[in-house]
Amino acid sequence: MSNVGTKLPMPGSVESKLKLRVLLVEDNVVDAELVLRAIRIDGFDIDSVVVQDEPAFTRALRTHRPEVVLADYNLPNWKGMEALDVLRREGLDVPTILVSGALGDVTAVECIKQGATDYVLKDGLARLPDVIRRALREKHERSLRHQVEEDLARKVDELARSNADLEQFAYVASHDLQEPLRMVAAYTQLLAERYRGKLDEKADTFIAYASEGALRMQILIQDLLAFSRVGQDGAASGSVDCNGVIEDVLQVLASAIRESGAVVRHADLPAVWADRTQVAQVFQNLIGNAIKFCGKDPPAVSVRAEKADQNWLFTVSDNGIGIAPEYAENIFVIFQRLHTRAEYPGSGIGLAICKKIIEHLGGKIWVESQAGAGSTFKFTMPSRGPDERVEARP
Amino acid sequence: MKPLPELLIVDDNPADVVLAREALTGSVHGSQISSVEDGDEAMAFLNHRGRYLNTIRPDLVILDLNLPKRDGLAVLVAMKAAPDLCRIPVVIFSTSRLRQDIARSYEVGANCYVSKPGNLNDFFSAIKAIEQFWFGFVNLPPRGE
Repeated sequence: MSNVGTKLPMPGSVESKLKLRVLLVEDNVVDAELVLRAIRIDGFDIDSVVVQDEPAFTRALRTHRPEVVLADYNLPNWKGMEALDVLRREGLDVPTILVSGALGDVTAVECIKQGATDYVLKDGLARLPDVIRRALREKHERSLRHQVEEDLARKVDELARSNADLEQFAYVASHDLQEPLRMVAAYTQLLAERYRGKLDEKADTFIAYASEGALRMQILIQDLLAFSRVGQDGAASGSVDCNGVIEDVLQVLASAIRESGAVVRHADLPAVWADRTQVAQVFQNLIGNAIKFCGKDPPAVSVRAEKADQNWLFTVSDNGIGIAPEYAENIFVIFQRLHTRAEYPGSGIGLAICKKIIEHLGGKIWVESQAGAGSTFKFTMPSRGPDERVEARP
Repeated sequence: MKPLPELLIVDDNPADVVLAREALTGSVHGSQISSVEDGDEAMAFLNHRGRYLNTIRPDLVILDLNLPKRDGLAVLVAMKAAPDLCRIPVVIFSTSRLRQDIARSYEVGANCYVSKPGNLNDFFSAIKAIEQFWFGFVNLPPRGE
């Protein structure tokens, strides 16, 4: 709670005297007394300092720490309005009310534009107490809002930091885990090759399990590493031709395509603004999944794109086993799997990587599917770099 | 008779050294394999210092990056700065697949960069391919000059 807040006057309540430090900028002694009296009458207990020029004003701001500034517009040595400049320079938020003789509407509006809270004519001083109350209330609300904004900014900052820490941790952990795991995998494999059939049957089984476990964990860690690298490993954004990416991906998936008899079709695809490796990761995961999660028929996968504002909307659809709608969100969560390893192998990281990549690019990814009726994955990617977004496409 | 090729493996993981020796067992090149476990030892070996007084200078160094004491990159820099060592080809053989590790290695003069495969058979293939390439196809710098 700020200082002002605890003493905030309730409108109309006059029984308790409200202490108020006032800084009055006024050259006329009589006027000064009239102004102060107008406030006192309304129940304010005033602690006031009267100044006439900038040096005295600046000094009083520091020593007197006023809660409100009342400034005459016309002074012989200074313009009351310049008090606003001083306040800004000092980084202070003190409500400033102009108290003046005849002040044209244009001038008044100009003063308020420059930051004055309000203006009161000297022949209408009865308004002044209410104007002060309102100014104090507004300042209080302003400081509350400021507080909330600061809290929010701090939380966002903390969240970003803890997120970055977590990613760094996942990265380091998965990187350092690889080394010992490689030993386990290599030596269980070596055991399996050198000693198969030389120990008893159980030993062969045990070694096979150990070997399988190590291999599976290697895949898991590599995927986890790929996941934590998204947004870390200096992704190089540029214009990426998706047709070329798809050709590369089909090369990588060649054996899976051959074994399953899959047919992958793609329309003429546009260029997107992204990191090529990451675009390839997205297509490889989605097309790879479409081939892996196939039904009885050979997989048929099609990829196409259409323009949606500044983005391209991509569609990867298949004739596979589909996904029940209740799992449509879950599948993008890391380590979420819907099948046993015996049915469909995998680490449960692929779609999480896709989601992370797409979201880093400011896009979205979702699935439209019914169990048993194929799946359609849709995602958006920016069509142009951040500097070119506004221009029309040639 | 042509002298057998000398290979120095610099790796702090004895398990990897054993795997490399296994991979090259019975190879036609008959590589003579020596190994050391940290960067300082590697420099002592290459400069015939301390207990390496009588070692033969290697024809090829297989160098891990992540080493105790002086790391692999520092060994590489020191080798490439030394007139009598700079010709020896160096194969970086590391678990790291980080872009910056790869780029930095080539910048300071690595002759090639091979990531240690996680799979046993790939590991064996990689070591055999390195030996076959450097000792089978490549014209190495002449010895003793």
